[in-house]
Amino acid sequence: MYILADNITSPLGNTTSQNYLTVKAGRSALRQYQADDISTESYTAARFTQEQWDEMAINGLTRFEALAACSAQRAIRNAGIDITRDDVVFILSTTKANIENLTTGDEPQEAFTPSTAAKHIAAYLRFTSTPIVVCNACISGLAAIITANRLLESKAYKYAAVCGADVLSRFTFSGFQSLKALSADECRPFDIERIGLNLGEAAATIVLSDQPSEFHIAKGAIRNDAFHISSPSKNADGAFLALQDIGAKEISEDLAFVNAHGTATLFNDQMEAVALSRAGLSHVPTNSLKSYFGHTMGAAGVLETIISLEALKDNIVLASRGFEENGTSVDVNIISENRPTTNKAFIKMISGFGGGNAAILVTQKVADTPEIAHTQQCHIHTSHSITINPHRATLDGQMLDINDTRKNLLVEIYKRFIGDYPKFYKMDPLSRLGFVASELLLRNVKEKVESIILFNNSSSVIADKNYWATAIDKDNSFPSPAHFVYTLPNIVTGEIAMRNGIHGETSFYIIPTKDKNVIDKIIYSFTLQESFSSAITGWIDYPDDEHFSAELRIIRKS
Amino acid sequence: MEELISQLKENIIEVLNLEEMSPNDIDNDAPLFGEGLGLDSIDALELIVMMEKEYGIKLKNPAEGKEIFKSINVMAHYIDEHRTK
Repeated sequence: MYILADNITSPLGNTTSQNYLTVKAGRSALRQYQADDISTESYTAARFTQEQWDEMAINGLTRFEALAACSAQRAIRNAGIDITRDDVVFILSTTKANIENLTTGDEPQEAFTPSTAAKHIAAYLRFTSTPIVVCNACISGLAAIITANRLLESKAYKYAAVCGADVLSRFTFSGFQSLKALSADECRPFDIERIGLNLGEAAATIVLSDQPSEFHIAKGAIRNDAFHISSPSKNADGAFLALQDIGAKEISEDLAFVNAHGTATLFNDQMEAVALSRAGLSHVPTNSLKSYFGHTMGAAGVLETIISLEALKDNIVLASRGFEENGTSVDVNIISENRPTTNKAFIKMISGFGGGNAAILVTQKVADTPEIAHTQQCHIHTSHSITINPHRATLDGQMLDINDTRKNLLVEIYKRFIGDYPKFYKMDPLSRLGFVASELLLRNVKEKVESIILFNNSSSVIADKNYWATAIDKDNSFPSPAHFVYTLPNIVTGEIAMRNGIHGETSFYIIPTKDKNVIDKIIYSFTLQESFSSAITGWIDYPDDEHFSAELRIIRKS
Repeated sequence: MEELISQLKENIIEVLNLEEMSPNDIDNDAPLFGEGLGLDSIDALELIVMMEKEYGIKLKNPAEGKEIFKSINVMAHYIDEHRTK
C-alpha cells in the first residue's frame, strides 16, 4: 500500500524534515547523562528534555500517550484524512507503553497495559474504529506497517495510521542493563569496537492509504528464528528468510540501500551481516540509524522507515554514524559517509526478542505503472482447537481429565501430558499457558504448522510485576534478566516457535476487548498472503491466576 | 566448602527454576552449560545477578562468567575467594 504522510517526533525535532536534515548533517540525539531517575550509573541515551515534554503535554494523557498522540496528530494533519470514519484504523506499535505507571505507584494493572494507552490515544485523536496494538518486541514497528499493509490490501480499511512509540523509564533501562546490552558510550553499529546499544525515546507515524501514490510498501515479511528467546540465530535463519520472502536478491541491483536494525550489540550486527550475505546483499550499501536516535524500541521500525524514505527522496544513502571498520565475520557494505544514489528502492530490516525478524521493501514509482489487483480469495478451515481456563481444558470438544483444576492447572497439564521440556518452569504464566495449549493442540497433528498469530488484552502484566519486584527497590535492586525478557508478550510465540521449529511469521496483537470482528480482520488479511499455509491462532490472556484463558486453533488453507 | 557447595546448588536451582532437580542431581564437576544442565545465555546472566546478590561479587564483564561458571566446583572456589558477604 501507499505512504500518504508521516511524522517523526524525537529529541531532534517535531517534524520529519527536521529529523532528516539533522541526521543528514551527521548530528545525533545521543547524549551523556549522569546517574538520575532511570540509572544509577552514567549512561548514553537519546532523551527528550523537560522543555520538550512540557510542549507535548496533553491534559489527561500520560507522557507516553501524549508523545504518541502528538506524532500521530501531526502525521494525520499532513495526510488530510477524516479519521472519524470507520474505515480508518489506528495501529500502535509499542513494547512497554505506560509501563512507568507500574513503577510509580499502586495503579490497577489497566493503568500500564498497552491496550489502555491505545484506547486513550485513539479517543483523544477521535478515531472511531477499534485500535490495534502490535507488541512484537523490537520488530513491532515493521510488524505494524506490515499488518497495516495487509489490512488495507484485504480491504478491511482504506487508511491506516501506524504510530510507533516508547519512552525511557527505569523499568526498561534496568532491564536492558541486566541483559548487559548497553554501551556506556555512543553505539557503533557493525564496527569492530561495538560493545552494545543505546536506548532512545521517540514516536513516529506513517499514514498508509490504498490509493496509489509515489511511495509504495511493496512487500513485507515476518519470520522467526526458532532458536532462542533473546539471542539471534547464529545462521541468521529468520532474518535471511524474511529477506528471501521479499525477493531481496532479485531486486538487489535496484536497491539504493538496506537500512539494517544495527543495534551495535555483538550478536545482532553479526547476525544481520550473515543474513545480508546469505541473501546476496553483501555489496548493497547498508546503514544503521541507531547512532542518531538510539534504539527507540516500539518506534524504531516506523522511525527508521521514515528517515530512509526521506533519504530515498533526497537521492542519498545516509552514513552509518560511528562505523569505521567491519566488525562482523562476513563482508558487508556499511556506508560511513553520505553518498548519492539514483536507485529508487530500499529494504528496512529489523530483529528482536522472541526470535522475530521482519523486512519490508519500499519502492518509489518512477512512472505510472498499473498495479496488480489483489483479488486472491482464500478459504481456510480449522483443523483443531483447544480452550484452557482456570476450570477446565477442552481439546477438540473433549474435556481433558485433570485432577487438580484449581491449583497450578498449567503445571498439572505439563506433568500429565508433556513432561519432557523443563524449560517450561522458567516461563512466565502467559508463556506457560501458550506452551501447554499449543502442546495439546499439536499432539495429534502430523503436518507442520508454519506460523503463530496470537491476541490478548492484558499484555504480559504478570511478568511485568514479577520483573519489577526484582528491580523496584533502588538500594537493593537486582533486576532479573530472565524476568525482563518475559515482559514482552510475544515471547510466548517465540517459545512455541522454538519448541516446534516454526520459522514462519510470529505476531502478537493487543486489543482493548476481545473483539471478534477485529481479530477476524487481522487473521483474514494474514491468510491472503501467497505464502500462507497454516497457523496457530487465537486468544491467549493471563491477567491473573483466576481469569486466564487460551482459545487457540490451527487454521489451514483449504 | 561442603556447605557452600550445597547452598550454591540450592541457590542455582531456585534462581534458574530447575524445578524437577535436587542438589544431588547436580554433579560438582559436570559442566553447567552446554551438555550439563542445558543452561543458556539468559541463565548465565541470571547467575551473574545471583553472584552479586548472594555473595556480593560484581562481574564487570559477562565474558568472565564463562570461566567461573564451568562447574559447581569452579564456581564455589571462585566465590570462596572473592565473596564480600
